[in-house]
Order: sequence, then C-alpha cells, then structure tokens
Amino acid sequence: MNEQLGAALAAEEAAIYAYGVIGVHLNSSGDIAEARAAEQAHRRKRDYLVGRLSQLKASAAPSPAGYELPFPVTDRATALKLAIQVEDGVAQAWRPVLPATEGADRGTALAHLTEAAVRATRWRRLAEVSPATMAWPGRPE
Amino acid sequence: MVLTGAVLQSCDMGHSRRWVLGTAAGVGAAALTGCGLFDSDDPEPPKAPDPLEPVLAEALALAAAYDQAVVTQPGLRTRLAPLAEDHRTHAAELSRLIGEPMPSAPAPSASAAAAATTVAALRQAEQAAQRTAVAACKVAPADRAGLLGSIAACRATHAEALR
Repeated sequence: MNEQLGAALAAEEAAIYAYGVIGVHLNSSGDIAEARAAEQAHRRKRDYLVGRLSQLKASAAPSPAGYELPFPVTDRATALKLAIQVEDGVAQAWRPVLPATEGADRGTALAHLTEAAVRATRWRRLAEVSPATMAWPGRPE
Repeated sequence: MVLTGAVLQSCDMGHSRRWVLGTAAGVGAAALTGCGLFDSDDPEPPKAPDPLEPVLAEALALAAAYDQAVVTQPGLRTRLAPLAEDHRTHAAELSRLIGEPMPSAPAPSASAAAAATTVAALRQAEQAAQRTAVAACKVAPADRAGLLGSIAACRATHAEALR
C-alpha cells in the first residue's frame, strides 16, 4: 500500500504545482473559482497522504523542486488542457491504491479517484471538449 | 455422519438395486454416493449470484434509458449517446468477468433507471448506480477493486455531465 500511496502523493504534489501555473492564465471568475477549489482539494489530499504515510511509518520521496510541464501553457486553452491532464493523472494515481487497500482506506481512495474524475469532466465541459466523460477513469489509456 | 445415515436410510428402500450397485461399484461407494448419482433428478443447487450482477444490471438499464431518452428527445443525442456507450463498455467487461453472455435486454425490474428519461431522472439514476458500484468496490476482492472503482467514478462523472 505504501508504494501506491507514495505515487498518489507525487501526483497530488504535481497537481498543486500545475494549478499554480494554470491559475495565471485564467481570467473568468468561473474558471478561477474552479481552479482555486481544485487546488485546495489537492492540498487536502496531499495533507491526508502525508499523515497516512507517517502513520504507516513510510517515507515518501521528497517532492521535486520543479516540474517540467508536458507542453507550454500560454493561454486559457492550454491552461484548461493541462488541468484536464492533471486530473486524469491524479485519477490514474489513485486507482492502483484500490486493490492495495481495504475498508476505510479503499473508501477514501475511491472518493479521491472519483473527485479527480469529476473535476476532469468539469474542465472538459469548460473547455468544450467532447465527450466530457470516459468509460474508465483512472485506467491508463 | 448425519448425512451418511440419511443417505443409507433412503437407499434402503431399494434393497435389490443397492445390491446391484454394490456388486458393480463397491458397497462403500454406493452407500455414500448412490442416491445422489443414480436416483436424484433434483436440479443443481442454484449458484450464488455474482456480486457484479447488480452493477451489470444497472449498466444495462442505464444504457437502455439513454437510448429511450434519445428516441423521445433527439436533440439530446450528442450529449447522451457517449454516456450510453460508457455503460455498454462497462456491461461488456462485467459480463466477461461474470462469465455469462451479455443479456440482450435488462431485466424489467433491474432498476429505476429503466424508467428514467428526463435529464434530471437520468442524473438521479446515475447517482443511485454510483452508490451501487461504490458499495461493490468496498467489499470486492483486490482483482476487481480497480474495475469497480472506475465504474463508480464514471457514473459520478455522468451525473456531473448531466448537471
């Protein structure tokens, strides 16, 4: 379980970083509110994971000082594209936690997978990407 | 040993047949298994339903409900058709895991989803179906947890897409 939680932590930290970049390129209050809420949610997941890994006496790899973005983020369109990619990635990091856990830990992991998938759908709708859903959120494509 | 006693008792009626069986296959074997093997035409005990069955039933019911909604409201096709397709993808995978061919139509009582044709009703049906998948995921063996988790998450995204 520790390995999967560590991977989820890395994804949540990357998401927090990404939303810092995304926020700069959004202008409408709707977009900005969405990005702020998402960033706060990812911070809560990060804190949960740090606490859980500490309870399990597992050490997580330190987060990198910086991240290389998958493509240049220069405007709203590329910012929304990154937000979609970030949420898909977070969902993909939480899914492997499910088979590695039971009970309350699995329930929490499923809630986090679901939240990321729902946010990805919200970003797709804002970006007018169709379809806004996929059959297997969290399954690597 | 209670079982063995009962078997012997019920077989005792056919005394001569037991003798025949005894000479053919050995008395011990006949006493233990004779009734079940040769006398009983009881159907096999029903297999316990696979815990994936309710998740499959809702996938099929939701796919059918979307199809019906598109018939009555063709303007919603672009929005609803991909959601129906997601459910059919789930149903195919669930049927494969259960090991039975996919039923061509959902059982009429499968779910309230069958009657849902307005966007609001479809959204409620997705939320109910999400709860079914969440419950199934929580108690599933490890090798099914990811599949059921993705199905639960997908149903949540459908409810979001219908807002």
